[in-house]
Amino acid sequence: MEERHFIPESGGDQEPSQEAVEVENRREVRLQPGAEEKLVLQFMDSLNSYLSLSHSLSSTLGQAWMELASARHSMGTARINTSLLDLKFHPASTTLKITEYDVDSVDAKAWFVLRKWVSSEEDEDSNSTKSSELADDDDVVVRRERAKSLSVFGILIPPKLRAAQLSFERALETLVEMANMRSSFLYSFHQLHQEVEDTKE
Amino acid sequence: MANRAQIPTKNSALIAMIADEDTVVGFLLAGVGNIDIRRKTNYLIVDSKTTVKQIEDAFKEFTTREDIAIVLISQYVANMIRFLVDSYNKPVPAILEIPSKDHPYDPAHDSVLSRVKYLFSAESVASGRR
Repeated sequence: MEERHFIPESGGDQEPSQEAVEVENRREVRLQPGAEEKLVLQFMDSLNSYLSLSHSLSSTLGQAWMELASARHSMGTARINTSLLDLKFHPASTTLKITEYDVDSVDAKAWFVLRKWVSSEEDEDSNSTKSSELADDDDVVVRRERAKSLSVFGILIPPKLRAAQLSFERALETLVEMANMRSSFLYSFHQLHQEVEDTKE
Repeated sequence: MANRAQIPTKNSALIAMIADEDTVVGFLLAGVGNIDIRRKTNYLIVDSKTTVKQIEDAFKEFTTREDIAIVLISQYVANMIRFLVDSYNKPVPAILEIPSKDHPYDPAHDSVLSRVKYLFSAESVASGRR
């Protein structure tokens, strides 16, 4: 973490208070040329993206619910409901990776990466690059994990249920993008809020 | 440094859900369902019999678990515990309000967007004082 040192004005014998140090640190950020404009643009940009993504999500979810309803209509209500879910131990196949973005700033922001259909046998810490042979294995893993997820609702799976699965996967991708935009505009919001507070002082 | 948000970096964090049956079933199809050894799930299915207390408890549990990165909550469910959702301000897990079949998404009720509106009203007050 970067440390900032407060240099007292000449002639001062008293040590600066912690609050004065923090105010000075914030003023250092505020006085950088173009920083405030950049923050405002970042804020507006990520807010606009968030709102656009929310519209897209509504549309994707609407399609997904329709496909799920069609599958339920063809399979029967008893075949697609939560009573079929057992409570046996099983890890999630689709997870998230969180990284810390912009670690040098006062307020860090989170960045989310979706990891779809990760096999429970896969080594979580593996960062090795994969050859084309292993990439084919990835397709096999994805197909296997998708089939495992569908098998909760029976052996004969109608196309509508498979389509619903794909739609909900698309919705997940949109949601992760929304989470990143949220993180981005909240970060900008906090920085700008600090500017407003400093202006009032 | 004071008040610095701590972001836990993780390789394998979960997505939690507090939503109606169809939404939960759909996302379970997409592979986000997790059940641990103690049979604790990462989702709560909200129906007509679900109490506000159960929703509150689930929200508090999911927002304090270290293995959860995002909490999806149907907006109509979030409205039932609006005070709790609005008072939440950590970066992780991220709370995302989503539409449901019978209740479309309303940006005016989104807690994060409401917080942003406050900034603009504060700005207008500040500029009026100059």
